[in-house]
Amino acid sequence: MKFARKLATMAAALAMVATPALAVEVSTAAGPKTIDKVPQKVAVYDMAAIDTLASIGIKPSGVPEKLFVPELTEANKDAAKIGTLFEPDLEALNELAPDLVVVGGRSSAKAEATAKVAPTIDMTMDGDDLLGQAKERLAAYGEIFGKADEAAAAAGKLDAAVEAARQAVKGKGKALIIMTNGPKITAYGAGSRFGWVHKALDLEPAVANIEASGHGEAVSFEFISKANPDWLLVLDRAAAIGSSDQGAKATLDNELVAGTAAWEKGQVIYLPAADFYIAAGGVNSTQRVLSVIEQAFAKAQ
Amino acid sequence: MPKTLPAARVAVGASLVLLFLLSLGIGVDDLSIRSAAVDSAALQLLLVSRLPRTLAAILVGAGLAIAGLVMQILVRNRFVEPTTTGTDQSAALGVLAVTILFPAASIATKTVVAASAALAGTSAFLAMAHRLPPTQPFLIPLFGLIFGGVVGAAVTFIAWQFDLLQFVDVWTKGEFSGVLRGRYEMLWLVAAAVVFAWWIADRLTIASMGRDISTGLGLNYQRIVQLGLVMIAIISALGVVVVGMIPFVGLVVPNLVSRLMGDNLRAALPWVAATGSTLVLGCDILGRIIRYPYEIPVGTVLGVVGAGLFLWILFRRTDHG
Repeated sequence: MKFARKLATMAAALAMVATPALAVEVSTAAGPKTIDKVPQKVAVYDMAAIDTLASIGIKPSGVPEKLFVPELTEANKDAAKIGTLFEPDLEALNELAPDLVVVGGRSSAKAEATAKVAPTIDMTMDGDDLLGQAKERLAAYGEIFGKADEAAAAAGKLDAAVEAARQAVKGKGKALIIMTNGPKITAYGAGSRFGWVHKALDLEPAVANIEASGHGEAVSFEFISKANPDWLLVLDRAAAIGSSDQGAKATLDNELVAGTAAWEKGQVIYLPAADFYIAAGGVNSTQRVLSVIEQAFAKAQ
Repeated sequence: MPKTLPAARVAVGASLVLLFLLSLGIGVDDLSIRSAAVDSAALQLLLVSRLPRTLAAILVGAGLAIAGLVMQILVRNRFVEPTTTGTDQSAALGVLAVTILFPAASIATKTVVAASAALAGTSAFLAMAHRLPPTQPFLIPLFGLIFGGVVGAAVTFIAWQFDLLQFVDVWTKGEFSGVLRGRYEMLWLVAAAVVFAWWIADRLTIASMGRDISTGLGLNYQRIVQLGLVMIAIISALGVVVVGMIPFVGLVVPNLVSRLMGDNLRAALPWVAATGSTLVLGCDILGRIIRYPYEIPVGTVLGVVGAGLFLWILFRRTDHG
């Protein structure tokens, strides 16, 4: 027994010599964090992180039971299921024994719990500089996994997608971002969680001063009618979480919204809900969102 | 009869009319009622948005107040209302179930399921409440709170499992922001329920004296209790499905009116309805003004206003004992 342990220690020491310890320091939402070695097994509780990791060819060993984004569900069906987005299954996580746990956004509150099982980094993104943070996170993953080149390439693609959307949006009018939740609606302005669309694409908001509260502002249909946007960017929250309840179209199809320029010109964009809402800031998901915006604006005269 | 009566009636009637006009005039878009006569866009706005919202608030307010009154009669306790005794939570459970099992179901189907669930929940509450000793008046509201809490916990648990928590939040928070022409008309059934309550008011008054006395007076007690239950369930379910839960109306309005008018139900009923409408409409207007042009849900406003009114009733009670 003693001999075995000694052997194991020696093997570990050898392994450390064999793979030179490259301790990298990366910036996380909770400040800079040092990662001693390249993680072999990573458990991820954040859709944007899973999405971004995929863009540099890293597949997590453990993911939440429900991934909401169809592309991610398909790509990660073999990964171990380690709880849900809001509630990590620490037993399962312990059994997986990952070298690194990534949390972010909805799961960031559980960082302390998962840190007791394995080293944890919080990669939350928020605010209206979502794209800047997305690239920062991407670069950090590149460092951690020794994939800096892949990360740079992915960042380049993201930049190109932003630029293409920015060009398409230019001079096509003002937009209003709303979220439908069943029969009710909330509006989001610059500075809100969806404000990056206005900021990154120079898309002029139809209502200048919507306050930047996380869950948007409850508004009436009269609000939309008065704002009279040229473009209506719609997120259907029910669709984002996979419920097929009353759709955004049914909610918006009423006499007041029908009077807006956006509705009359057919300029209502239904954003890919899971990509925009749940995996917000993921490198691939953000490109899918941008491409929907670009195509819709490109069609307009 | 108290002599404050005519004054109170005039006050309620006048404020309801005043608030009705105010509600038509207040909204995000510019509109003066006078311009509606000449301007077709303004008339459109009035008919599509303002009038439906105002009517919805009036109907819901009247319905909730009456449902609270009937429940207080059936349970023979002044401190209960459908939002605290599991009726609304049961209705929400019904909507949740139908949303999960048959997501494509129409609003009408949802209402029917919600009403059935509300009926089952209220019956269960009533059956258990009647077993409680009548000498302990606070046991019934307390039991109601626990019962409502248990049903509410079931709603939360199921919603959690299906990632529908925030969706449930949208129903449970009473709000008129989504009300437009074509989206509230079912609430007219509430008006029918109120008329029905008025029709059976005398029998309800007798029922309020308890099973033995009312049976002795020749009343089919069981039948009246069933009718009352169905009415409470329908009103609550319609409210939850169309606008969400609104607290305190069913609790404070019947208490306020009964202090002014006594317990002659047929005489008090129209005033309970009118006071409920005034309260809900007033709070909805407040919710529209406080953070203009954004909205504060009427359920939130009533949580504050209603709690204040309830405390006032509790502390002033002894004066008129």
